[in-house]
Amino acid sequence: MKIQQRWPGESRFKGWFYLLPGLAIYLVFIFFPILSTIRNSFYKWNGFSGTREFIQLDNYARLLGDAQFIKALTNNFIFIIFYSIIPILIGLMLASLLGRKPIRGMTFFRTGLFLPQILSMVVVGVTWRWIFNPTFGLLNTGLRAVGLDSLTRPWLGDFQMALPSVGAIGTWVMYGFCMVLFLAGMQRIPEDQYEAAQLDGAGGFRQFLHVTLPNLRAELGVALVTTVIAALRVFDLVYVTTRGGPGDSTLVTGFLVYRSAFQQNQLGYASAVATVMTILIFVISLVILRFQSRQEA
Amino acid sequence: MKKFSLLSIIITAALLLSACAAPAPTAAPAETAAPETPATEAPVATEAPVATEAPVEEITLVVWDQFYRDVESQVMETLNAEFAAAHPGVKIERVVKTLDDLKVTLKLALSEEDGPDVAQVNQGRSDMGAMVEAGLLLPLNDFAATYNWSERFSASVASRNSFTEDGKTFGSGNLYGVSPTAEVVGVYYNKTLFEANGWAVPTTFDEFEALLATIKAAGVTPISFGSLDGWNAIHEFSAVQHLLVSLDYINNFVYGVNNVSFDTAENQEAARVMQDWVDKGYFTEGFPGIGYDDSNKTFKAGEGAMTITGSWLTGELLTDTDQEFGFFLLPGNPDQTRLAIGGVGVPFSIRKGTAHADLAAEYLDWMISPRAAELWAGVGMLPAMPMAEGAAVEVDPLFTDTMVAWNTINNENAVGHYIDWATPTFYDSIVAELQKLFGKMTDPAAFTAAVQVDYAAFLAGNQ
Repeated sequence: MKIQQRWPGESRFKGWFYLLPGLAIYLVFIFFPILSTIRNSFYKWNGFSGTREFIQLDNYARLLGDAQFIKALTNNFIFIIFYSIIPILIGLMLASLLGRKPIRGMTFFRTGLFLPQILSMVVVGVTWRWIFNPTFGLLNTGLRAVGLDSLTRPWLGDFQMALPSVGAIGTWVMYGFCMVLFLAGMQRIPEDQYEAAQLDGAGGFRQFLHVTLPNLRAELGVALVTTVIAALRVFDLVYVTTRGGPGDSTLVTGFLVYRSAFQQNQLGYASAVATVMTILIFVISLVILRFQSRQEA
Repeated sequence: MKKFSLLSIIITAALLLSACAAPAPTAAPAETAAPETPATEAPVATEAPVATEAPVEEITLVVWDQFYRDVESQVMETLNAEFAAAHPGVKIERVVKTLDDLKVTLKLALSEEDGPDVAQVNQGRSDMGAMVEAGLLLPLNDFAATYNWSERFSASVASRNSFTEDGKTFGSGNLYGVSPTAEVVGVYYNKTLFEANGWAVPTTFDEFEALLATIKAAGVTPISFGSLDGWNAIHEFSAVQHLLVSLDYINNFVYGVNNVSFDTAENQEAARVMQDWVDKGYFTEGFPGIGYDDSNKTFKAGEGAMTITGSWLTGELLTDTDQEFGFFLLPGNPDQTRLAIGGVGVPFSIRKGTAHADLAAEYLDWMISPRAAELWAGVGMLPAMPMAEGAAVEVDPLFTDTMVAWNTINNENAVGHYIDWATPTFYDSIVAELQKLFGKMTDPAAFTAAVQVDYAAFLAGNQ
């Protein structure tokens, strides 16, 4: 059935005009900056002087040989464990605890556990810097209180523990998001599937494995894409807590971009790093979605 | 679902890219990032004179400055009002920005026809150097001679605001700015603790190290320190380094001339001292995980006998504490130099295209006048130039300590440098390497060699 969509005499192009403001904003603030970043990546340029030197792919060649870039990229991939894998596991666990049967204070738990997600990353970073503070921080004070003095350390300044410490903050921020996503998905699962599974003799864990998990495939895809992107473009948390230190043990590509562009006046090189990361994020996200949709088919 | 995710990827990707498409604020150099709180209430009570509507030629002088904090801003308002009062027909249009904001906008503003006549231009290669290279700043050499500015500050101070005309060589060539305020890095000590324990202010480096041992033995943290933020680790290392190297060396090094190296015996010795202090537990326990402000908070609360940092902390240590503090320069042994890290604040410069160059120069002269010195001292900030003889400024003993320290190194021509000015990437390199040094992940020889790699690469590229 064809629905009348236009008033008589109305231009069929009218709809397009409604798109103009949004399109203009998109072009000015997103599309052109992207193009200009890609363009900048082919230049040696400090970001403000009138002259820039076209150096073709030199910035990209330098990137491959830059030990700091490799280190930063490695750290980004380690962050996937903390930003993505652990939060999804925790989220699944909490969702299956909270989601199957109505429990008292459900809203309280849902809100409380989701709270880290809505806080500004700067606030989160500053708060955790206090928690990790070696002298008056909650963590070391707590460890000392229970006699575990040997476990206390300068968390964010410790060469072994700095990366896991910053990663743990990421986990704390992301798990609530995963949980809420899965909770929403679980409400869609028809109760009779669980009943059928129960009749077939499936226990709680098998129900989770064969009913809950397959039904959450779409949510898992979204959670995975969102959190992996977050891990690959992390900047604020590192900026606030460690600035990539100690040494370069928490250096990530996002911070490398900032540092090269705005502290070291190497906008061309920073643009190359940003371009590579964008392509990388794009490809990884496509692969995840592809994988997910193939399973669905 | 798929659509939603694709969209979010695109948006994320877009944000990542657009984040570095346009020049954004450069971070303030570490040494200026520290808060400068006023020592005393501003004594300023001068009423701004009513602008006389004289029939003389009306001139508006546009001035951009970064003294946005309350008391600083009041000093500027007073100085501007008094200048305008002394020059009938002259109006000062003041534009106040934060340093970050100023750094981003000034480069473009100075290249415009109606840009500011006078502006504060941040020191160093990436700011003043770049602007000199682009031909945006007026050389001040002639004015310096006219107004006898060499009597107000030493040659060493002047070179911090100097570049060759091509903007490539820092520290020599033309003078492009004059700084009203100064900074010196030294040792703050807790007088209350010192008196209670009978500790004396040391006069040689050996005495200083002996004092560290004594304090440690008394169960007190000798040096309150936290290296999590990175930049202040440079000051710990470099303060000791400054006692070992010559003024020529540190000048050559920072200005990038005469091909000096970072990989020297003196720098290795300073690095060795740092690791020695770490081993002996002279720094706050867990210092790698403590930030600069947190470290100062505990020092102010009475934990730790001393801390090595810059004179900007004075204001902070005067308020909200029951402890009394003093300040001394890190002492050298008799055979050592008495250099101290120090410098001058963001200088005032004149735009090359201004139509009122002479008036602008007179304004600069006023900014570094004895009257200006008096006003700055009155709010607890070190003036870079001398005050008038017999100027009566009510100040705290701690402020007097820092002023004595600054005057000492200024008179002895012993003002060293923030070594992170050396190259645009030097700050990041040395902070990372110093954290490794303090964390015992490297040794002094490997440390100086690693930092030298950065320095040599810059020298090679700047030729």
